[in-house]
Amino acid sequence: MVMTAMIELDAVTHTFADGSAGLGSCSLALAGGRRHALLGANGAGKTTLLQHLNGLLRPSTGQLRWRGHSYDYGRAGLSDLRSRVGLVFQNPDRQLFSALVEEDVSFGPLNLGLDDVTVRARVAGALDAVGLASFGRRPVHQLSFGQKKRVCIAGVMAMEPEVLLLDEPMAGLDASMQAELEALLDRLAARGVTIVLSTHDIDFAWRWADEIHMMAAGRCIASTPAQQLPLQLDALRAAGQRPPLALAMHAELVARDVLPAGAAPRSMDALLAMLRAQPAIELSGEIQL
Amino acid sequence: MRIDAAAYACRWQGVAPSAKALFALAGIASAWLASSAAMLGMLALLSVLATLAGARVPLRTYFAVALAPLGFLFFSCLTMLLTPAASGGWQWTPALLPAVAGIALRSLAVLAAVLGLVLTTPMPDLLRLLRRVRVPELLLDMMALCYRMVFVLRQAWEEGSTAQAARLGHSGWRQSWRSTGLLAGQMAVQVWQRASALQMAADARAWQGSLRFLPASFPYARRQAALALLAGTLMLALAAWDRVWS
Repeated sequence: MVMTAMIELDAVTHTFADGSAGLGSCSLALAGGRRHALLGANGAGKTTLLQHLNGLLRPSTGQLRWRGHSYDYGRAGLSDLRSRVGLVFQNPDRQLFSALVEEDVSFGPLNLGLDDVTVRARVAGALDAVGLASFGRRPVHQLSFGQKKRVCIAGVMAMEPEVLLLDEPMAGLDASMQAELEALLDRLAARGVTIVLSTHDIDFAWRWADEIHMMAAGRCIASTPAQQLPLQLDALRAAGQRPPLALAMHAELVARDVLPAGAAPRSMDALLAMLRAQPAIELSGEIQL
Repeated sequence: MRIDAAAYACRWQGVAPSAKALFALAGIASAWLASSAAMLGMLALLSVLATLAGARVPLRTYFAVALAPLGFLFFSCLTMLLTPAASGGWQWTPALLPAVAGIALRSLAVLAAVLGLVLTTPMPDLLRLLRRVRVPELLLDMMALCYRMVFVLRQAWEEGSTAQAARLGHSGWRQSWRSTGLLAGQMAVQVWQRASALQMAADARAWQGSLRFLPASFPYARRQAALALLAGTLMLALAAWDRVWS
């Protein structure tokens, strides 16, 4: 079954103005309606790649395609692209420029040319979705880091994009906020939004993503549906990542006959649940070395 | 920062900015109209009371903010009392005291009116007022951005300063001077980097070339403006009566 790729990169190379290499012949296909994780160490080119996807950066060579059509870098084309592909940057202070929360969230929808009533509805809906419904009239500089991040996400969500790109969204968030953000992203994915996020946390990618794309040195070295990650452990190592903890534990426990062979659990919680579901083992008294 | 914090925390934060502006304008106009020292003093007092008792701005904040203009006023008055002497130097002229006192009181009345507006109205609302009065969009966009950037850069400066202090950068007068200079240079880079990042972020949200923001809604604007007009008219009436009868 061929899944239509929403966005495709075809041998994209990008060299920065100062001569340093950003992307080196990177090819990638992102299917629509799925949750994608870009996995790679710092400097692998994840941010550069994300900024190519919404046209902020142009490839030196190679091509990007949206639903099979080459990217249009004209003014109207870029406007259209960015209304469909939203990007949430890593540092909230570098993307919030309004004084009040609801003003900043309204920036995107107003740029799309929507009327005031629709904009207000969208702003309210977006703030509600990120859990900041009563924060509309608060000044941005009085918010905490996590709250600012959520305002950034609301600002992009208010534009109702088809594809949502997030650059290291979990960075700087505490555990409960990360869980909330994960839940929010899952709700969006359930609505059909394609989500692409970059991360260097293999355990999170393994737990959450539908498809994992591994990057190293500006290239995408492997793409795999998440369930098939156990078959790509070499690529994972090449991307500078260790195997997910739950996967490694499961493999070890299966090898020691503690767990039956089967599909690997996607998280440590799932692994614990599997273990607790097992009947208690009576040791025979022999120690096998 | 004090002004900003006070504006967001005061009791009149939800009052329509047009109403507050009308009251402040009335205060300024009546200060201009009135002539006797007593009336000017009372007008100043009225504005101060409105801010402290009505809007519940903390006394400490009020005085901290008023300190700079008051100091300026004080020194101006001092210099006004100095006049050239016939012999070629400078001399004190106590005879000018009533006139200088009148000027000082008038300034105080206007100051109280302006402080009343500024301490009770957050910057975004002030910008909205300016937009209604047809101030050029470009100027307003720059003001809006500067307002946001003031806080961001202030934080960047404080973080840099703290990091320097942690490495003994402010341990002596000389080091302090040098560290501050280095930080100021770094701020230039920060400003440039942040400007580029903001530009990118604006592009990512399909920026069309001008900063458009949603107008806020003040449900009781009409009633509040009427009240403000009433209070303002009272002040103007007092001032006019004073001018006519003294």
